[in-house]
Amino acid sequence: MNFLGPEDAATFAPVIKAFEAKNPDITVKYSQVPFDQLNSTLQQRLGAKDDTIDVYTVDQPRLSQLAAQGFLEDLSSLKDQTEAAVPEAQYSVNLYQDKMWALPVWNSTQLLFFNKTALDAAGVTYPSADPSERRTWEQIATDAKAVQAAGTQYGLLLEQVEAYYQLQPLAESAGGGSGITGKDNLTVDVTNPGWEKAMKWYSDTFASGLSPRGVGGFQTSPLFSSGKVAYFVGGPWDVGAFSKADVNWGVAPMPYFEGGSKATPTGSWSWGINPASKNKAAAKKFLEFASLDTAGNLATTEATTIIPANSAATEQYLPKLEALGGDHAKGLAKLIANENTETAKARPVTVGYIQFEEIMGKAFADIRNGSPVDERLKQAAQQLTDAWKQL
Amino acid sequence: MSSVTRTSISKRRTLGYIGLSALGACIGLLFLLPLWWTFVNSLRAGGDTFRFLDPLQWETFFTLTPSLDNYAALLSSDLGLATWNSIFVSTVTVIIGLAICSMAAFALAAIPFKGSGVVFIVVVVSFLIPFDAIAIPLADLFRDWNLQNTYTGLILPGLGNGMAIFLLRTFFLAIPQDLVEAGRLDGLGWWGIFRRIYLPLSVPSLIGAGLTLFLFQWQSYVWPLLNGTDAQHILGPIALSNLQGQFNVDYGVMFAGSIVLTVIPLAIIIGFQRYFIQSVTTTGLK
Repeated sequence: MNFLGPEDAATFAPVIKAFEAKNPDITVKYSQVPFDQLNSTLQQRLGAKDDTIDVYTVDQPRLSQLAAQGFLEDLSSLKDQTEAAVPEAQYSVNLYQDKMWALPVWNSTQLLFFNKTALDAAGVTYPSADPSERRTWEQIATDAKAVQAAGTQYGLLLEQVEAYYQLQPLAESAGGGSGITGKDNLTVDVTNPGWEKAMKWYSDTFASGLSPRGVGGFQTSPLFSSGKVAYFVGGPWDVGAFSKADVNWGVAPMPYFEGGSKATPTGSWSWGINPASKNKAAAKKFLEFASLDTAGNLATTEATTIIPANSAATEQYLPKLEALGGDHAKGLAKLIANENTETAKARPVTVGYIQFEEIMGKAFADIRNGSPVDERLKQAAQQLTDAWKQL
Repeated sequence: MSSVTRTSISKRRTLGYIGLSALGACIGLLFLLPLWWTFVNSLRAGGDTFRFLDPLQWETFFTLTPSLDNYAALLSSDLGLATWNSIFVSTVTVIIGLAICSMAAFALAAIPFKGSGVVFIVVVVSFLIPFDAIAIPLADLFRDWNLQNTYTGLILPGLGNGMAIFLLRTFFLAIPQDLVEAGRLDGLGWWGIFRRIYLPLSVPSLIGAGLTLFLFQWQSYVWPLLNGTDAQHILGPIALSNLQGQFNVDYGVMFAGSIVLTVIPLAIIIGFQRYFIQSVTTTGLK
């Protein structure tokens, strides 16, 4: 059976090994496709009914489009089991037109990492890991400026500077919503006051030199590792990376806007079955093992630090993640468990997500580089309205 | 008086010459700089890649503690196998491709036949269309022919290269017809003329065309992805791209991989440089 995804083969080796030990008559062969080409490669190969892909990784917000194109096998028979095994947001993200198309494997959230050495140098107090003491963006920006004045190069940096995944919570917190409304989730809503407030604030962090321009998404964590950044918003995967670096870090909840709601990103990857597959029974077995089976789901997180989607697996996993970070990560398990259930805001489920992500990504990039916020958001809204007309 | 003028002119000339050379050297170094920076960072731990970037300092471009750890890390990745696969695929493409392209070019340059002009136009147009534009329908055909995930599937699209045919044809046209006549008198057929007269005279342009074929395969990226290559058939550029994880990028290892994949064609091009330039400069000479 063939399994295709964007991760390094070492990431899935433990789950494949565990599955094969349990099912000696099935062998799983994994192929990696570079992350940036995954979607286009899948579109082409699935579109051509390529039966050499049995199971593939599904970027959760793209699920509805893949399902609408007929690129996913209906897994609705596993609905009840899945609903019982994973958090609500991780269940509903796999539904499209009331049918279930994939099983959730990973989950995610975002955390505020801070550089203790840099904060000490400026006499700034550490933010607490306790979700009830969550700081506001306004506070963080003020503190970050102070740390910068004391000699740290950059005050604040978001890991995926131009990604909707990471910027959605800014707009949500400012009361702007996800940016998509309407019955079918095909109406753009990115020009409301909440979105404008959030994006103006974001634009200012670059204009004031608090955040660096010219550093792309995922080039950012090495900057924090090398001690050049005071506050860094990143994912649980950074816990593994930072614990290997020689920066003295701590972790706190992702901030919110003063007077606004608390919102954090969520969602990650599900796995689905190619309808053209000739090994559907084996593929389904593999999916159930990787998602619904606690040990199987845990095995997917053995090599990469990422939160498992399965609730029972999460419970076992979080203390391990906290231990990995040592003293730096005190309170991390409680914090992530809280974010998963209390503040997680999933990306909207819509067949127009791919265009949305792409057009907004360009808008974020321009806003970051100094485009006037109102005009740029209006332009993006217009582009999206045009793009969605053709759906 | 006149000798003074002459000295000042020659002095000015020397100065101009030195100035131009210095300028040329500086521009050359600017081109080298990114590659050098990549190389230096391949000798540093991934976490240190951006440490010395801003503000620019001597450590941006030099390191006192070079380490080969990143290169050692490559050994445990797919890049080793991928490099061999790339070398294999490129070499086979060059050998078979040169045979096909040179015969095609010979037919177009030396053998008069009806419609040769049309065939030539088709060849020229074929290399003006970007390969990526035809890759998707081509991949569907290859799937129907069961060539998916095979070396044959990887090699085939690189064999008939319009650019190589164009280069060779232009060179062949410059070969004097008298030589062909002489060969004919000595009893050579078309094959003999091609084999004994055209090929030996065209070594530089064959090398130029060979490099074109080689680079096409060496840089091949979209095609192996569309062709569903697995870990056994993986090629260099894909393995390099795979080093970039979804959540974390180790730039040290990535740069080490880039250096490995750059050094191989660089060595080949430098080795054949003389011929390559010759082939371009003599193209079209009569």
